[in-house]
Amino acid sequence: MRLNAPKALAVAAALLMGGAAACTDTTVEPKSTVTEANVFNDPNSYLSFLAKVYAGLAVSGQQGPAGQGDISGIDEGFSQYVRLLWEAQELPTDAAVIGWGDVGLPEMNTQQWAATNSFVVAMYYRIYFQIGMANEFLRQTTDAKLDARGNVTPALRTQIATMRAEARFLRALSYWHAMDLFGGVPLVTDADALGATPPKQATRQEIFDFVVSELNAIIPALPPASAANYGRATGPAGSMLLAKVLMNAGVYAGTANYAGALAALQPVLAGPYSLASNYRRNFLADNHTSPELIFAVTQDGLKTQTWGGMTFLVHASCGGDMNAADYGIDGCWWGLRMKPQAYNLFSAGDTRGDFFFTRNQSVAVTSIGNFFAGIPAPKYSNLTSTGARGSHPTHVDTDFPMFRLADAQLMYAEIVLRGGGGSRAQALAYVNGLRQRAFGNASGNITDAQLTLDFILDERGRELLWEGHRRTDLIRYGRFTGGSYIWSWKGGTQAGAATAAFRDLYPLPANELVANPNLKQNPGY
Amino acid sequence: MQRVSYVLSALLTVLWFAPLAAQAPSGTVQGRVIDQATQQPVAGAHVSLGGKAAITRADGRFVLTGVPAGSDSLRARVLGYAPIAQAVMVRAGQEQTVNLVMTAQAVALTEIVVTGYGEQRAGNITGAVTPLGREEFNTGRVITPANLIAAKVPGVQVIDNNEPGGGLTIRVRGATSVNASSDPLIVIDGMPVGTGAGGGLSAGRDPLNFLNPDDIENITVLRDASAAAIYGANAANGVVIITTRSRSGVPETGPQLEYTSSFSTSRVTRLPSMLNAAQFRAAVQQYAPQNVGQLAQSSTRWFDQVTQDGFGQEHNLSLANNLGDTFYRLSLGYLNQDGILRGTTAERVSLGLTYQQRLFDDRLDVRANVKGSRTDDQFTPGGVLSNAAQMGPTQPIFDPGTSTGYYDWPGNTLTSADNPVAILALATDEGTTYRSLGNVHAAYRMPFLETLRANVALGYDVTKVDRTSFTPSVLHSQRKTGTNGSDFRQNPSMTNTALDAYLNYVAPATFMPGTVDLTAGYSFGESSADYPWFQATGLSTDVLGGNGVTTARTVQNGLDIQESRLISVFGRLNYNIEDRYLLALSLRRDGSSRFGPDNAWGTFPSVSVGWRLSDESFLRDVGGLSDLKLRGSWARTGNQAFANYQQYAAYRFGDTQAQVQFGNTFVPTIRPNAVDPAIKWEETDSYNVGLDFAFSNHRFTGSVDWYTKDTKDLIFTVPVAAGTNLSNFVTTNIGTMKNTGVELSLVARLMEGRNDGLSWNATFNASHNSNELTSIAGSVQEILVGGVAGGVGTTIQVLQPGQPINSFFVYQHIMENGKPIYKDVNGDGAINEQDLYADLNKDGVVNVADRRALNSPDPDWILGHSSYLSKGRFGLSYTLRAYLGNYVYNNVASNLGTYAEVTRASPYNLHSSVLETGFVTPQYLSDWYVEDASFLRLDNIAAEYRFDWQGRPFRVFGAVQNAFTLTGYSGVDPTAGLNGIDNNIYPRSRTFTGGISVRF
Repeated sequence: MRLNAPKALAVAAALLMGGAAACTDTTVEPKSTVTEANVFNDPNSYLSFLAKVYAGLAVSGQQGPAGQGDISGIDEGFSQYVRLLWEAQELPTDAAVIGWGDVGLPEMNTQQWAATNSFVVAMYYRIYFQIGMANEFLRQTTDAKLDARGNVTPALRTQIATMRAEARFLRALSYWHAMDLFGGVPLVTDADALGATPPKQATRQEIFDFVVSELNAIIPALPPASAANYGRATGPAGSMLLAKVLMNAGVYAGTANYAGALAALQPVLAGPYSLASNYRRNFLADNHTSPELIFAVTQDGLKTQTWGGMTFLVHASCGGDMNAADYGIDGCWWGLRMKPQAYNLFSAGDTRGDFFFTRNQSVAVTSIGNFFAGIPAPKYSNLTSTGARGSHPTHVDTDFPMFRLADAQLMYAEIVLRGGGGSRAQALAYVNGLRQRAFGNASGNITDAQLTLDFILDERGRELLWEGHRRTDLIRYGRFTGGSYIWSWKGGTQAGAATAAFRDLYPLPANELVANPNLKQNPGY
Repeated sequence: MQRVSYVLSALLTVLWFAPLAAQAPSGTVQGRVIDQATQQPVAGAHVSLGGKAAITRADGRFVLTGVPAGSDSLRARVLGYAPIAQAVMVRAGQEQTVNLVMTAQAVALTEIVVTGYGEQRAGNITGAVTPLGREEFNTGRVITPANLIAAKVPGVQVIDNNEPGGGLTIRVRGATSVNASSDPLIVIDGMPVGTGAGGGLSAGRDPLNFLNPDDIENITVLRDASAAAIYGANAANGVVIITTRSRSGVPETGPQLEYTSSFSTSRVTRLPSMLNAAQFRAAVQQYAPQNVGQLAQSSTRWFDQVTQDGFGQEHNLSLANNLGDTFYRLSLGYLNQDGILRGTTAERVSLGLTYQQRLFDDRLDVRANVKGSRTDDQFTPGGVLSNAAQMGPTQPIFDPGTSTGYYDWPGNTLTSADNPVAILALATDEGTTYRSLGNVHAAYRMPFLETLRANVALGYDVTKVDRTSFTPSVLHSQRKTGTNGSDFRQNPSMTNTALDAYLNYVAPATFMPGTVDLTAGYSFGESSADYPWFQATGLSTDVLGGNGVTTARTVQNGLDIQESRLISVFGRLNYNIEDRYLLALSLRRDGSSRFGPDNAWGTFPSVSVGWRLSDESFLRDVGGLSDLKLRGSWARTGNQAFANYQQYAAYRFGDTQAQVQFGNTFVPTIRPNAVDPAIKWEETDSYNVGLDFAFSNHRFTGSVDWYTKDTKDLIFTVPVAAGTNLSNFVTTNIGTMKNTGVELSLVARLMEGRNDGLSWNATFNASHNSNELTSIAGSVQEILVGGVAGGVGTTIQVLQPGQPINSFFVYQHIMENGKPIYKDVNGDGAINEQDLYADLNKDGVVNVADRRALNSPDPDWILGHSSYLSKGRFGLSYTLRAYLGNYVYNNVASNLGTYAEVTRASPYNLHSSVLETGFVTPQYLSDWYVEDASFLRLDNIAAEYRFDWQGRPFRVFGAVQNAFTLTGYSGVDPTAGLNGIDNNIYPRSRTFTGGISVRF
């Protein structure tokens, strides 16, 4: 084979090499992932982003029920906001125990957590995930950004203004949880750049002031309460949050402000809410139809799935001789029971205790790990008010009732008793209204003389059992730590023991103190 | 492109001055150098005459022009051959031909070794490089190419997966990374496969299964960084270069047809030790009397029900023809191998074509390779092994009362075990992988400059995968969880293309002694992959199986497109003075799409030197010493083997199950992800010092290497200060790691040239690597890794500065009489960690602070020994392998070796360790479960007999793989995967293979 073309080949080789060498562009843009650069080309992205800020309360990541978790460092199912908040607010109190031995969980029952406790740590990061999402939403929706994108219609701009108020509500909600659980924490807002140097620690008072001023600023801008806005932060929800913050002003800021709390509460009480005729209605698979809910974290068996949230509360409350199908679910997780003090708050005839499951269960919690020790309170169920099963046997339809009217009415009564203003007669009427619903008649009604602060605390323990308020209530009453109120397993023994006052606050995560050298650990840890 | 032109102009400057013409009367001498024994050309020989010198080409030819007229000696010299001189009379203006015949002295030194973008004589290599040819490969049933070299190369750990064709992990000198890959770069016939480290895409088994081991000629491992550095940002984990069979060694005697056929059977060697029916019943009676009513009267050994003898067959047919200028080889392969677990099968049909052509007076050398295969993999459905362990032995297999005919645990609760035989019978999980790799390499010797060769290589690698798993709704597991059947299918496909263009210049240096071998080039690689998938759950009917979607409660699907690009320029200089002083410099500059604009380009240099001490006068006459070479090197390499698009501030879509309800509508979500836009490759600085030696006329040879590798900018996902990013963890370059080790390899011709014809060659290698994670970040003291079965989110290993990566992170269980204690020591009425574990930090309480890092899954020493014996027509070979100081966490024992498992609503069977420990509550974090898994294994032993029948050469052979294992480890297999966690791993088998081979 003898072709006379070697020179041509040499030239071709040189050209090929030269041509190839010209290509030095290393940029390969992602195709099936959207980035900051193009995501807002679609105007629907604003609502979807806002939806994520809500979703941070409801699910654990971008795949339901698990996958693409929002935060790392803990099992994704454990990392869900409502689940962590509920555990932080109920397990260390007189209300509940959880029987599982997962690392860090047993200490939550007994106020013995350390700064490395994974449930405490996850709560902290879950809160800051919410704050980070809300901040980023606000950064991405400034007038300057909207102008620059040039595809925002005036109508959308109006909607975005409302969305911004909602994002600020959600940020204020999480900052409330942060100061309630952890005290003084870093105050990071949309004014701070992403990826900047570690933030400074704010005092609890500064967080309190920020939350109050934010809520006062946004309440008028929040959407009105309506069925169409169910699940969203409405004006009354903003007022309720403000009332709850001011209600505990003495704890957060050192100076009580019950009058302020009363003022904040008025629009809630005057709002379109009414007590559901049946107490249980608030905790069933169709509780979104209850007229009583002011703000709920929505769940849906098919479209809003999580291993935390209400899936956790419904399944974990089930065990022992209980039949899972009676709660519309496919299995029990054998976890949650009441401590005896919570169970003993209920008297005969109080239908709010009708759903307690007592067969083969002891009142005393002789062993935290044994499900048969302690009375389960399967208050939440995946059956609807008509007895039908929710849309999915594992993931429930039941929404988490974060704020509801009964809570507001009991707050009103407490404010009156604490001298924050209001009418004592109205207070009694609110309390007896709840009692009548609970007893089905007037047999449970109390007299004016019986309307005391202690009664209110107990009544909150009954009416709001397992709704995530107990720790805050006990701290406001000064009974969460110390020896004035001892309950079973407080301090780590079945009989109960006094605990140190520093346990009123959770510790900042040990790792966080290293990641952010500006932080000072809460005293005692 | 500025950098390329810089390299090219530097190269050309050298070339321009090379052919300085002489003015005196002169002539030309040309010829060919061949090996006396083999009659094959000797390439790379230094030929000189009258002050002119040349290097012989691949075909052994040389041309000396401008040689002064007169009588002189034509000298030829090359490593491993005796130098020769021949008197020549050069006449002015005339050309004459002189052929030289050289005699090999040390064959090992003369071997041509393929390195990146070139080849070199083994004796002149200054890095740590190990080539292995066909005759040294492991024998028996080998499905995955990497298995060919297991236990053969010092510093290289091939980590088994006992499944036939299952994914193998290769570690060269330990792991250099935690979150990026630690797999070496695989290069097949010059083309890097996959998208960096690792072997690319597959349906679930080893991605290199597409390559028929019978088509492989040679596997070379570039162990040290100086050898690998020519591959830059992909080289930190070493490079494995696979060369498929080609012209070399095929005589020019016409078409050669070769057929090899073998049959094999595999038998399981060890299974988890579970309680038998009587023991199980006794445990339930004692610890969970309320559950006794659930027990049936059968006695079922569930593991026996899910295992089988695995039969296999393999047929390889090849046709090769060496016609001188033209060579072709066509190969066909078929393999079918069942696993020892029912439901496991690996099947491969492979096709290979190699074509080589020399053109234009041998100026142009073209090689084309196409390899293609279809692998059909049947996987044992998930849950079979774990349920075989958990299912009570008192329960029957069949139950005519159920809709499936298989027994289901009563009560149908979430926690009851599933019948593994029912899963095997009803669920399917299968994958098909089509893959083809092809490349064309053209090397052209420039007409204006004989010593310059231009090389262009173009390659493609296309993979298409189908993986379908179907779990029918009638299966117990589906009913109890409410999943009600699922149908999952993914169809990823990947196309990679590569272009390499480089110049190679080999010539005697003009201004100084010695020869130079210069390479400079450009490389462009692109990868594009699609990952579509769908999953349907809640099936209305099972009739379609995995072949279609019936009405389903939920259908999810997705598509992910992944693309990447790597652009590089590289150069290398090998400088050789009389084979005595050797220098190699290389430099690669890589631009990767995986990093942001500020960090897209990285530079990876290397320097290595060699000094042949045995050629120095002070050692030349040392008795018995045949060769002694000292090597030293430094190199910087990179690792970019992690996910694409890390630098982009991406928004992730939520799926339909993670929507939010606003009023009556559900709104899908988008989430901005935490990002570090400055993310870049990991970087490893390596030092290597080695000594190659040979004694007694190369009868005993070997080498010793010491190395240290410092990796920095490790990619970790670490916590960040709350509020500063969009999640609590962000992936960033933080952390450092160190690997230090020594390697020894010895080769001995123990018996040769004996009167009885018996010969015995033996090799031995030993390697020690110690890994230490030197830092993570200021904020992180430890990262828990190594999830295990038992509890939720239980982890057993740790990444902790000062410790080897993935060290076990456990409590110290207090021992008594050689057993872990289980009693209420402190008398508080409960048996818990306060009683059982040592309070190591003496703070009066046993808590997480008392867990400590203890031992690691990586062996301290890996030893390998192979022997090759032959006598007349008989041949025998075997390979022994030993690990010392590797630890395994026996997760089956820790998870099921506790009476708590019978107190479940539906009891699980127990691991027999519970009879010894008496644990009533699980002790997942006890160091008692971390076992020394050192072992000695006869990896394979093979015998063959060669004979001629009707003029055809036949070979009959037999092999036993995994003939025996000696170990103190109590679980299924001391080589329990990469991370040393033995949680229902695929059991190991012993495989007997017999076959015959014939050539026509």
